[in-house]
Amino acid sequence: MSGEIDATTTTIGLASPEWGGFDLARTRGNGLPDVWRTFRTAARLGWQMEANWTDPVLFFIYSVAKPISAALILVVMLDIISGGADPAFRAFVVVGTALWAIVLAGIAGLAWSVLDDRERYRMLRYVYVSPNDFIVILLGRGVARLAVGAVGGAITIVVGVLVLGVPFDPAVIDWPLLAASTALGLVAIIAVGVMLAAICLQTRQESWSYPEALAGGLFLISGVVFPLAVLPDPVQAVGLMTPLTWWMEGMRQAVFPGGTSAIGGDGSLWTAVTGTLVPDPAFVIGALLATGALVTLAAIGVFRVSEHRAKERGLLDRTTGS
Amino acid sequence: MSVYEYRHTSSPQEAADWTPREQWLTDLRAVGGRAYPRVTGLFREKSWLFFEILLPFLSTSAFVFVYRALEAPAEYIGFVVLGGAMTAFWLNVIWMMASQLYWEKSQGNLELYFAAPMSIMSVLFGMALGGMVMSSTRAVIVLVVATFIYGVQFSVDQWLLLAGVFLLTLSALYGLGMILASLFLMWGREAFHMTQLFTEPVYFVSGLNFPVARLGLVGALALATIPLAVGLDAMRQLAFVGAEFPIGTPAPEVEVLILAGMTVIFLVAARWMLRTLERMARREGRLSVRWQ
Repeated sequence: MSGEIDATTTTIGLASPEWGGFDLARTRGNGLPDVWRTFRTAARLGWQMEANWTDPVLFFIYSVAKPISAALILVVMLDIISGGADPAFRAFVVVGTALWAIVLAGIAGLAWSVLDDRERYRMLRYVYVSPNDFIVILLGRGVARLAVGAVGGAITIVVGVLVLGVPFDPAVIDWPLLAASTALGLVAIIAVGVMLAAICLQTRQESWSYPEALAGGLFLISGVVFPLAVLPDPVQAVGLMTPLTWWMEGMRQAVFPGGTSAIGGDGSLWTAVTGTLVPDPAFVIGALLATGALVTLAAIGVFRVSEHRAKERGLLDRTTGS
Repeated sequence: MSVYEYRHTSSPQEAADWTPREQWLTDLRAVGGRAYPRVTGLFREKSWLFFEILLPFLSTSAFVFVYRALEAPAEYIGFVVLGGAMTAFWLNVIWMMASQLYWEKSQGNLELYFAAPMSIMSVLFGMALGGMVMSSTRAVIVLVVATFIYGVQFSVDQWLLLAGVFLLTLSALYGLGMILASLFLMWGREAFHMTQLFTEPVYFVSGLNFPVARLGLVGALALATIPLAVGLDAMRQLAFVGAEFPIGTPAPEVEVLILAGMTVIFLVAARWMLRTLERMARREGRLSVRWQ
């Protein structure tokens, strides 16, 4: 049949194939190039939405104010109690806060993309029926916010080193560990974000505060600003099952080798079970890989179920208010 | 006889000439109508129990554990718990008061508000009332559970003053929320991002987890402008009598006056701003244009 042959014809833009019929290839998409184009466009759109609402100076202040303030809260708490006597612990809290800005941006980015499009711009239904994979669009939008969070986190560390007296020596950085931790950690953060986006597909407008709320919960068990050793053993065990804990540990060991560990140490479950003070870098990467893979698989499953339920119940074009 | 009963009039002007009683009753109904979805929403969708109580409680707990890791005096744990409970109100003011008119504009309701025969202040009062009920639920649960779990010991001599400070703090906070609602509406798209700027930075300068006196001049400025800072400081002084922590802030009685002053100023300013907005809305029509 000529239709079968012509269906593979590549056409430019919205033009019809030369033979004038319907190009079936359009419904199937063009594979990876289409995915990449969708991702790139979504990321660009996300960046525009994030950044073009104001001038660069205010945008810069906006990007760094949150993580720096969060770090300052902890630094003041530290100073009030200990007089700032322990620079290693100061580095611990500043780095934890800076990294957490990235987590928060990554988690919120995807969830807010759903809410933005459904509640504010009321475009979700159109975005969904467009010939792109919905999750690729979400990932693109989320990456833009993640980038803003990463900039905020990096500047917080710079402020920590220059202003807050965080000891830092570039010569001792473990670059392979840093690269591996960064790559695996970002995948895990995005996976958590996908999971929350899936939940937000089901919930109402107040879901805007959910990313912060979820991050608040994870903040407690991930060894962000205090070692897990101060938590009860069962909570420490839960913390050791989240990839964010291992990501934080990997990043800290890479940038501040020999510093305070969030996982090991006196009174920690890790030390009680393994007899070692801190996990070695290879184990950290292995644990990050394993927990990250589990979270990623769970995120894909939750997203697919949520997407199916949203389609079935007409949630994609529902707007809510209160 | 209902005030809404039909009466024959000879002109639209005469029909619009309401008695003060009719105006008041309509405004009161608007307050109730706007508070209703927020209160009813508590029972309609239960996901808030998880996201708005359990998880914020965990977040508060994180700061408790920071103090525990630092082996801080017991009253500091109480400061964090009190601060954690009060964040419920601040988040509600930022997300559901300040941003709300902008939301209403995006959803197409704002033009209906301006066209409806009621004071727009009554809409804001309704939002505030509903928001207070919502946030109080969350705050009380966080306070009670955290107090029980972390063994916080309150030491209160003046319960009445403490209750007065709390109520005045809410009045001033929601008054500020009404002002921000007008500002956010004018700022348009920027408003949404401003909510982000008004969380952690405000927590820091308000001394959410530590005595604000520690911040010196910054803390003094916060006490003069941010109800959360004044209210928290006064409540800490009243709820932890005899505790040793950095002082240097005014006595609770003085802070009551500051809060009362803030309440009056914020409400008057909010009323003026809303009237200005309403005039703009009628004259220029751009307040009904969405997504700007």
